[in-house]
Amino acid sequence: MWSQVKQQLAESTARFLTRFASMVPGLAALVVALLISIVAGCILAAIVRPLLSSMHFDERLARWGFPSVAEWSPKQSPTLLVSRTIAVLVILTGFLIGIAAIDADWTSQLARSIVAYVPNLLGAALVLLIGSVVARFLARSVLIGAVNLNLHYARLLSLGVKWMVVVLTVAMALEHLRIAPGIVKLAFGILFGGIVVTLALAVGLGSKDLVTKSLERDAQKASGDNLEEPFRHI
Amino acid sequence: MEAGSIPEQVQDKVEQVDSADLVVGVIAELDQEGLAAVCDALRVLPGSPRVVVLRDDRAAKPDQNNVAAAEPSASSCHLVPWPLLGSAAAGTSAVGTSSAYQSIFAASEKFGARACCVIASSVESATPGWIRELAQPLVERDFDLVVPNYARRKFEGLLNSSIISPLMHCLYGKRIHNPMGPDLGLSRRLFQKMLGSERGAGVGLNSVHSLATVAPAALCENLQVCEVHLPARIYPPTDWMNISSLLAQILSPIFQDMERNAACWQRMRTSVSVPVIGEPVLVSQDTGTVDISRMMESFQLGIRDLQEIWGLVLPPSTLFELRKLARLPSEQFRMPDDLWVRIVYDFALAHRLRTINRDHLLKSMTPLYLAWVSSYAHDLETAGGTALEERLERLSVAYEAGKTYLVSRWRWPDRFNP
Repeated sequence: MWSQVKQQLAESTARFLTRFASMVPGLAALVVALLISIVAGCILAAIVRPLLSSMHFDERLARWGFPSVAEWSPKQSPTLLVSRTIAVLVILTGFLIGIAAIDADWTSQLARSIVAYVPNLLGAALVLLIGSVVARFLARSVLIGAVNLNLHYARLLSLGVKWMVVVLTVAMALEHLRIAPGIVKLAFGILFGGIVVTLALAVGLGSKDLVTKSLERDAQKASGDNLEEPFRHI
Repeated sequence: MEAGSIPEQVQDKVEQVDSADLVVGVIAELDQEGLAAVCDALRVLPGSPRVVVLRDDRAAKPDQNNVAAAEPSASSCHLVPWPLLGSAAAGTSAVGTSSAYQSIFAASEKFGARACCVIASSVESATPGWIRELAQPLVERDFDLVVPNYARRKFEGLLNSSIISPLMHCLYGKRIHNPMGPDLGLSRRLFQKMLGSERGAGVGLNSVHSLATVAPAALCENLQVCEVHLPARIYPPTDWMNISSLLAQILSPIFQDMERNAACWQRMRTSVSVPVIGEPVLVSQDTGTVDISRMMESFQLGIRDLQEIWGLVLPPSTLFELRKLARLPSEQFRMPDDLWVRIVYDFALAHRLRTINRDHLLKSMTPLYLAWVSSYAHDLETAGGTALEERLERLSVAYEAGKTYLVSRWRWPDRFNP
C-alpha cells in the first residue's frame, strides 16, 4: 500500500517536473520575447516621436479638424500618444509571440477570437471618429449662429448639441462592440432624453427675453413708431 | 449660360435682333415704364449705338412680351426678355446675382456687343439718365470697366467701406469706391474674359462670384478703368437675422479671388486714383446719435463665446487687444484701424489656409465687423460729409500700411506669427 502511494507520488512529481521543465524554455522564450519587444517598442517610439515632431504633427492634426485628440493625449501631445501606442502594440505582439511558445493551441484560440472581434473594433472606432467630427462641426455651427443671433446661452446650446451627438455616437459604438447592450440602450435613453429636456428648459427660459423683445419690436412697427436704423451694410 | 439653354419663346424674340452695340441687363426691379425710360435715355448716346435692354423673362408678363415683340425693328433700342435669374440660382442671393451677371455676359456675347452694362440697383434719381452716364465711357471713350461712385451717406454700404473698397484698393493699387458695383459697365474684352474664367471655374455653388471677380480681373490685366459719379444708391434695410450669412457670401469670393490673384497683388506697391467722370452728387448727412447697443452686444458675446475660434485665426497679440477693447465702456469704445486691418488680413489668410471650415470662419467674423461699425459710428455720428471722406481715407491708409503684414503672413504663414 505504502509503496503504491510512494510510486504515485513519485510519478506525479515526475510528471509535474517534466511539465514544468518542458514549460521552462517557453517561459524563458516569453521573457526574452517580452524584453525584445519592449526594446523594439522603445526604439520605434524614439524614432517615431522626433519624426512626427519634425512634421508638426500636433499642429497639423488640429488644422485637419481633430484638436480634441490633444485633450485625450498624454501631456496634450498627439505625437506622444501615437508613439506610445506604437510601443504598446509592439510589446503586445511580443507578449503574444511569447505566449505562443508556451501553448500554441491557447494562443491560436486567443488570436482567432481577437481577429474575429477586429471588425467590431474598427467599426466602433469609425463611428467614434465620424461622431467626433460631426459633433464638433455642429457644435461650432450652433455656437457661431447663436452668437450672431445675440443669444446669451449660445455656449450652452452648442455644448448641448455636442453632447447629444457624442452620447449618440458612444452608444452606437458600444452597441457595435456588443458591450452590455441592454444597459447601453437604457443609459442612452436616459442621457439623451435628459440632455434634450435640459436644453428645452434652458432655451425656453432663456428665450423669454428674446421673444418679448421681438414682440415689442413687432408691436412698435405696427404702431408706426420710427425704429428705422441708419445702418446699411450690403 | 450657353445659347442652347435659352427657352424657345425667348429664342424667337432674340432672332428678331441680330446684333447690338450695347447690351444693358436690368436686374433691378423696373416696371414697363421704367424700362421704356431706360431705352429713351440710351437712345441719345453718342453715335446712336444699337442697344438691347435685357429684362428678366420670369418677371415679364405675357402682354409685356407682346409689347417687346411688337417694337419696330428700326428702333435703336430693343427690349428683350432674357432668363437673368436661373431657377438653379434661386437658392442664395449671391449665387442668384452671380448667375444673372453670367447671363448678361452670355447675352452680350451672343449679340456681339461692344460693351454691356448691368443695372442692379435703384438710385435716388427721378430719371434713368444715370444709366446713360454709366454706358457713355464704354461707347465713347473705350474704357474697359466703368464702376459707380455713388454719393454716399456715412452709415450706408458699410461692408464696402470697411472691407471691400479699401482692401481692393490696397491689393490692386487702384482707388475704386465701389469695386463690386453692383451697377457696372464692361467692355467686350472684359466680359469675354469673365465668361472664359467662369467656364473654366464651372457652374454651381463653387463657381467664382462674377461680381467680386470683375474689378480684380480688369486691374490685374491693366485694363482701362474709370469711375462715374452717380446719385446715392438705395440700399435694402439691414436683415439682422442673416447678416452673418451675407457677410460670408460676399467675403468668400473676395478672399478666393485674393488667392487666385496672389501673384498680381503682391507686385503692387502703391495705389493711384482712376479717372472719374461727372460731378459728385451731394447728399444730406444725418447728424443725430445712433443706437449701437445691438452691435456692441454682439461683440461682447463674441468675446465671451468665440475666442476659442478666433484663437485659431488671430495671433495672441490681436486677441489681447480685443479683450482690452471689450472691457471699455460703450461710449469710449474705439477699434483702431490697424487692429481692424490686421483682423481682415488674418481672416483672409485663414480662409486661404482653410484653418477651419470657411463658412464658420466668415460667419465668426460678424461680431468683429459689427465692433468696427460701432467704433466707426462713434467717430462719425455727428460728423458731415467731409469728415466721412477723411475717416475712410484714414482707413484706406491703414490698409496700405498693413500690406507688408499681409504679404509676410501670406508667404510664410507658419514662420511669421507675431
